[in-house]
Amino acid sequence: MHDMNPSVKFIVITASMLVIAFFFNPWTPLIFWLGIILLQLTMSRTKWKLWLLFMLPFSIGAFGYLWTTIVFGAETGGAIIWSFAGIDVTEEQWARALSLAFRVMAFSTLSLLFAFTTDPVRFIMSLMQQLKLPPKLAYGVMVGYQFLPVMKDEFTQIQQAQRLRGAETKKYSWQQLLSMRRILIPMLAGAVRKAERSAFAMEARGFTGEPRSAFYHPIQIDRTDWLMSGIFLILLLTSCIGGSWLG
Amino acid sequence: MPEKVFSLTGLSFRFPEEEEKTLTDLSFSVLRGERLVLTGPSGCGKSTLLYLLNRLYPDNCDGLVDGEMELFGKPANDYVPGEINHRIATVFQDPDSQFCMPTVEEELAFTLENLQTPFAQMEPRITAVLERTGLAQLRNTIIQSLSGGTKQRVATACALIMDPEVLLLDEPLSHLDPFTAKQFVHWLEELQQASNLTIVAVEHRLDIWGSFFGREIQLGCDGRITADQNFTPRHPFTFLKRPSAAQPATALCAKELSVTIKDKPLLAPLAFSVRRGEVVIIAGPNGSGKSTLIKSLCGIFEKTTGTVESDRIGYVPQSPEYLFLTQSVQQEVAFSGASTQTELDGLMASLRLEEIREAHPFAVSHGQKRRVAIAAMLADKRPVLLMDEPTSGQDAAALLELFDLIDQRSKEGASFLIVTHDMEFAAGVADSLLLIKDGKMTGKFQAYEVWCNEELLAMHHLLAPKGVARPAESFA
Repeated sequence: MHDMNPSVKFIVITASMLVIAFFFNPWTPLIFWLGIILLQLTMSRTKWKLWLLFMLPFSIGAFGYLWTTIVFGAETGGAIIWSFAGIDVTEEQWARALSLAFRVMAFSTLSLLFAFTTDPVRFIMSLMQQLKLPPKLAYGVMVGYQFLPVMKDEFTQIQQAQRLRGAETKKYSWQQLLSMRRILIPMLAGAVRKAERSAFAMEARGFTGEPRSAFYHPIQIDRTDWLMSGIFLILLLTSCIGGSWLG
Repeated sequence: MPEKVFSLTGLSFRFPEEEEKTLTDLSFSVLRGERLVLTGPSGCGKSTLLYLLNRLYPDNCDGLVDGEMELFGKPANDYVPGEINHRIATVFQDPDSQFCMPTVEEELAFTLENLQTPFAQMEPRITAVLERTGLAQLRNTIIQSLSGGTKQRVATACALIMDPEVLLLDEPLSHLDPFTAKQFVHWLEELQQASNLTIVAVEHRLDIWGSFFGREIQLGCDGRITADQNFTPRHPFTFLKRPSAAQPATALCAKELSVTIKDKPLLAPLAFSVRRGEVVIIAGPNGSGKSTLIKSLCGIFEKTTGTVESDRIGYVPQSPEYLFLTQSVQQEVAFSGASTQTELDGLMASLRLEEIREAHPFAVSHGQKRRVAIAAMLADKRPVLLMDEPTSGQDAAALLELFDLIDQRSKEGASFLIVTHDMEFAAGVADSLLLIKDGKMTGKFQAYEVWCNEELLAMHHLLAPKGVARPAESFA
């Protein structure tokens, strides 16, 4: 999974999401979701602890969908399967609710799969090489990516310096948000200066934004990509057909 | 006679938003293999001239150019964008914002890709330039993890991989400590001799370059050439030794102070005291814990152990703008509300802030920003001032101003703890030196003790200040 071409992975994942979005039965997203987890279990090196942590908000969201659809869903056709506290849950509602919940789970797992198995630098390079993203944009993002840790340091330094001045920490979060302005202004001033310097440095080294003829680290599409795309396609078909058949 | 690389006739340059010309009527040529330095006061257009030579200007600023400029015997305007940058490479001032890729190897490859180099040639050229610059062992290192000096070497390697004929340097030493800077110059000299590069540099720390340059062009404040002459090696700007203003009363006393962050001991327990009016220089190699020490003293970092008994402590970071919270200098100084109006007026007058009292603190010069920061600290009744690298990237005039400022405030009872690499400055200003190495304090010494102790200096990557009479020499 990690060795897959990031652009191919990106396209495959986006396409699967779009296709799944057209199926409204609960089985399709369920099968697909289980399939994705199986894929990730067998073919990737995921840090599962971190994965679980990231999945937590999505799971809560999925449950929220399930609950609200059951309680407030307008659709009331079909036989009542069970009822409690004056709420009748019909077959139709239940199916809708499950479908929505599983869909949230499937989409979030899919996104996390991409995020956990893709190196951002490789992703940008691949976007430029396979999907013809203009180099100007691609290297712009790269510079920004290099700046992130520097910006983080700067943020803490400014915060510390201002706290020393006695800039009181505000009690409410909206006040905190407002006082962020004080930190952001010096940071932005610095960022503009840095951005100009970087642009000059790149230009002075012959960067014009023209597409390039050769890459030092060509990112290619090879057998792994075809194989993985195939697996994804099979999983997608299975879940679509299986889902329709079961539903 | 060697070929002319640059040839300027009556060149003038003006930024579109400004009335006056930044550069006026420049005429000179540079021959292949020359080592030229451009000097002059801050803001006289040295860097602008450099950017005209590598064609970053006028296109990037819509500047207006008069006169003629020929590069390699061809009018400058006949080059398409990017074309000239293959032959004229540039190394910039700030080691942090010259890179766009994570590792050294990829950064070098970025340059080659810009030149449309065929894939088969990339690998050998990268290996060759790394060998030539002695950076082979850093090939797969993450650039952001390197020190400033090494980053400048990587930037130079990125310039040299293009096989340029000319190397332009824009104050390449200003972010490096003197020890590292000297190594860089030595390294560059070897490279230059091996390849007969033409070098044009903008620099104000000329003493470190020794006899590297062969020619000097001085620019005046009005952007005209005031001198075009053979380069003479400079002595560093020396400061007169300031008489000590230390009073007997103790201003700060640290005991058993240590800092450990995330199980990493940054500072081993240390103890020292500072008297009122005393100026202490904190020195040591990069990454030895100097900044950690002052940050823990003023409470930015949590102390792991120990106590600091002190008058209230103020802190001036390397970028004083980090401290600013308000819209005008006046409000900035009055921010804490700890001083009366008369005290504030007195401070503003003695720090020469009256003429900028309504100005936005971000819009004033660097020296003024620092004075605003100091005024704000003193107005907040913080008479112990910690300064982080106030000398870095400053020209002689700015240093002299800083020197006077410290001299005056210490007479009025303020104590200073200053982190700096500039030993000439330290020799002038310091009463004592606090030496740190690998997170351990070697000790607090009287300044004159340190200047004649070779072993102590070398151990802390310091260069003995020039112009200080050393007892051993004066006896001989």
